[in-house]
Amino acid sequence: MEEWRLLLTDAKDAFTNMAIDEAVLRQVAEKKSKNTVRFFQWVPSTVSIGYFQGINQEVDLGVCENKGVDVVRRITGGGAVFHDYNGEITYSVAVTENHPKVPKNIIDSYHVLCGGLVNGFKILGLNAEFKPINDIVVNNKKISGSAHTRRFGGVLQHGTILYDVNISLMFSLLKVSDEKIRDKMIKSVEERVTSIKKEKGNADKKKVIDAMTKGFEKALDIKLVKGELSQEEIEIAEELKVNKYGTKEWNFKR
Amino acid sequence: MEQRNGILSADYKVKGGKLLRCSLRMDNNVISSIKITGDFFMYPEEKIESLEEMLTGVEMNEASVIEKINDFFNSNVQVVGADAEDFVKLVMSASAD
Repeated sequence: MEEWRLLLTDAKDAFTNMAIDEAVLRQVAEKKSKNTVRFFQWVPSTVSIGYFQGINQEVDLGVCENKGVDVVRRITGGGAVFHDYNGEITYSVAVTENHPKVPKNIIDSYHVLCGGLVNGFKILGLNAEFKPINDIVVNNKKISGSAHTRRFGGVLQHGTILYDVNISLMFSLLKVSDEKIRDKMIKSVEERVTSIKKEKGNADKKKVIDAMTKGFEKALDIKLVKGELSQEEIEIAEELKVNKYGTKEWNFKR
Repeated sequence: MEQRNGILSADYKVKGGKLLRCSLRMDNNVISSIKITGDFFMYPEEKIESLEEMLTGVEMNEASVIEKINDFFNSNVQVVGADAEDFVKLVMSASAD
């Protein structure tokens, strides 16, 4: 059975986290590192925005600053995500683009890679389903969203696993199109979004990560072996943090 | 025809959920600059800048906008979550607030 690397990098700041994802993608694409599944958290809590989003259109930067929440632009498209240290685990998968398990078609790839999470949620006792393009739902409510990119000869998919969710905090950080309907929007999002805790009454981070690890092993027919970042990855990540993800130029480019 | 000038913007919700936004500057009915944002996916991502460049200098009428956006979609790019028609509707619906 094919061995992939399992990386547990705990909680780091936004700019380091996004730099690590790209560093791992680059090294995996060059076959200098094994294909990788990583689980991590964000401290301080962070709003990540999609590559194409306008930072000022999506994020209330004043509120973020007051609450000590960082903001970072991702390398991937998709929407804004609140990575709450108290309610969210992020996963990322980096794999060579020509890997037999990864379909050429992007929507099919979402389906395959999200399959790992669907299995993980099922291990946790939740009736999870993949919902195209990039979501996972439980009882029709969103519990996970993912974003995907292909570059350097590799595929990177990362996304969010909600184990507890504070929607009013989340919405205080994000801009809403019409302030007059903020309360109504929060209510409607509360009806459309769920978390492991909401569904099960409790959520233990370690159990969630263990379940997702098993879920990916089953979905991709692989064995995940715990590993560490390579020295090269650490150096590339440091460079990317300083010259890319930590810069105004990158975060405010749209 | 009415000559339109100034900053125009639009939000356009794609069926399926993605949101496209644009903000553009128009001089004598010609797009002199445009920024397209949103929560869609495009591969490679940097191509968004080519789309914005292709639309710059284009007269704000449906035929011209369709032609440019179709040219873009026929170039080496994949867009997920929105199609060419959605981008046309987005740009054509831009208006002053």
